[in-house]
Amino acid sequence: MTTCIQAKNVGLTFRPKNREPVTALNDFSLEVGQGEFVSIVGPSGCGKSTFLNILLGLIKPDTGLMQLNGARITGPGQDRAMVFQEFGLLPWRTVLANVELGLELKGVEFSIRRHRATELINMAGLAGFENHYPHELSGGMKQRVGLARALATDPEVLLMDEPFAALDAQTRDLMQAELLQVWDRTKKTVIFVTHSIEEAAYLSDRVVIMSARPGRIKQIIKVQLPRPRDYEMRLSPEFNDLKSRIWDVLKEELIDKK
Amino acid sequence: MKVKEYYEEHQRALLGLSSFIFLAAAWELLLTYVVPLNPFFFTKPSLIAIAFKEQALGGNLWHNLAISSRAFIWGFSFSVVIGIPLGAVMGWRRRVEYALDPFLTALYASPLVAIAPLLIVVFGVGLLGKAVLVFLLAVFPFIFNTFAGVKSADPLLINVVRSFGGKERDLYLKVILPSTLPYIAAGTRLAIGRGLVGIIVGEFYAASEGIGFAISQAGDTYRLPEMFVGIIVLSLVAVLLTEVMRKLEITLAPWRAGEEIR
Repeated sequence: MTTCIQAKNVGLTFRPKNREPVTALNDFSLEVGQGEFVSIVGPSGCGKSTFLNILLGLIKPDTGLMQLNGARITGPGQDRAMVFQEFGLLPWRTVLANVELGLELKGVEFSIRRHRATELINMAGLAGFENHYPHELSGGMKQRVGLARALATDPEVLLMDEPFAALDAQTRDLMQAELLQVWDRTKKTVIFVTHSIEEAAYLSDRVVIMSARPGRIKQIIKVQLPRPRDYEMRLSPEFNDLKSRIWDVLKEELIDKK
Repeated sequence: MKVKEYYEEHQRALLGLSSFIFLAAAWELLLTYVVPLNPFFFTKPSLIAIAFKEQALGGNLWHNLAISSRAFIWGFSFSVVIGIPLGAVMGWRRRVEYALDPFLTALYASPLVAIAPLLIVVFGVGLLGKAVLVFLLAVFPFIFNTFAGVKSADPLLINVVRSFGGKERDLYLKVILPSTLPYIAAGTRLAIGRGLVGIIVGEFYAASEGIGFAISQAGDTYRLPEMFVGIIVLSLVAVLLTEVMRKLEITLAPWRAGEEIR
């Protein structure tokens, strides 16, 4: 498998005024292969989101190297796209205009981007809602728009920051299944940050478990479950075994820090 | 059945209108049958209606309205042109905010009407003096609301646009400007009310024409029906402008249709 993302000894410390500095990431090294689905779990404040934001190019690390296909990441780029936890839809834009955002910023011609956005809206099961505003949609539909928007620019890497955390349990299950289908079809590299062990185990090729303060990698667990995975698989003993392995590693972190 | 359906469809407007009619009828009946009418101190709707007809057909009503409108439009336009950019710059640049905020807040909080005589002395009793007064009263809602609107721009949305490769210009156009629009609309409604106060105060102090002058002159000479004509015209203008603003807001900001705009 060719390497897609490479983080080498990445470190970042926030130094807010009048407060103690916080080390968000320390000596963080990770390699992710092309088309791989990697989840990151860890206690709150362990730097999961910071890692995504560095990958996205919104913040720069103090130390270390973050590379995409062998080139250093210096800023945002169309080869990466993020799906945000709170959806991040522009409330003054219709579904269609929201999905078009990335293409518009890329300078893609109107007719082409409209065509492309419509395609993705249909794929996301949002046909008929093109001219609705975000406030008229349910949480699940909003995140479908978020996913369609991220896929519109056809990025190589899909970054997902607890994308389903704000959804109810059933919608969440549904969206996870849909995401697996999309991933299977598009072969994107996915970095998926979550709090849910079950979600991480169900979706991923590998699960990265982080420790809190300073945020570093504690252990990486490879998921051996066959694909395609379905809901029934979640009831199997192997799946539960995997969940308890992840939990055992994570548990110490949660209990230690309390 | 037809009547009931019509009522249910227009319930809001009909009930609102009925309270006006009820009040006017009660006023009319009270001063016709219960309280003896002393025309120096009281008047009633029927007399006001007659005065309105006279004023509208032969009197100075339209002339006065035009005079007041001109000062209002000038002062109000300048408050838009100066207030919105000033508020925007204050929202974007912290140093400008720190430098101007105390000064502007002090001016906003103090009753500017108190310096009306000074303004009249400096700028004269004509168009300029009144326009300056309208400007000074109306500009603050534009400054402070635009400022608040820029500040309210959601950092998440800024990051979203940045993450898709948006440059600084895109942040302004695609996030900050749209988040500011509802604030400016609310500021406009405030500014309309304050601007109308400016006109009237200006014309009360010293003027020879205009709606405010007409009200004050009619009052001084105990011509109450004429005075009420001025007051009613003024409230009609205020309601009309506010209604136009509301319609404009819904057209410009349809995404806010889900929220109650008031």
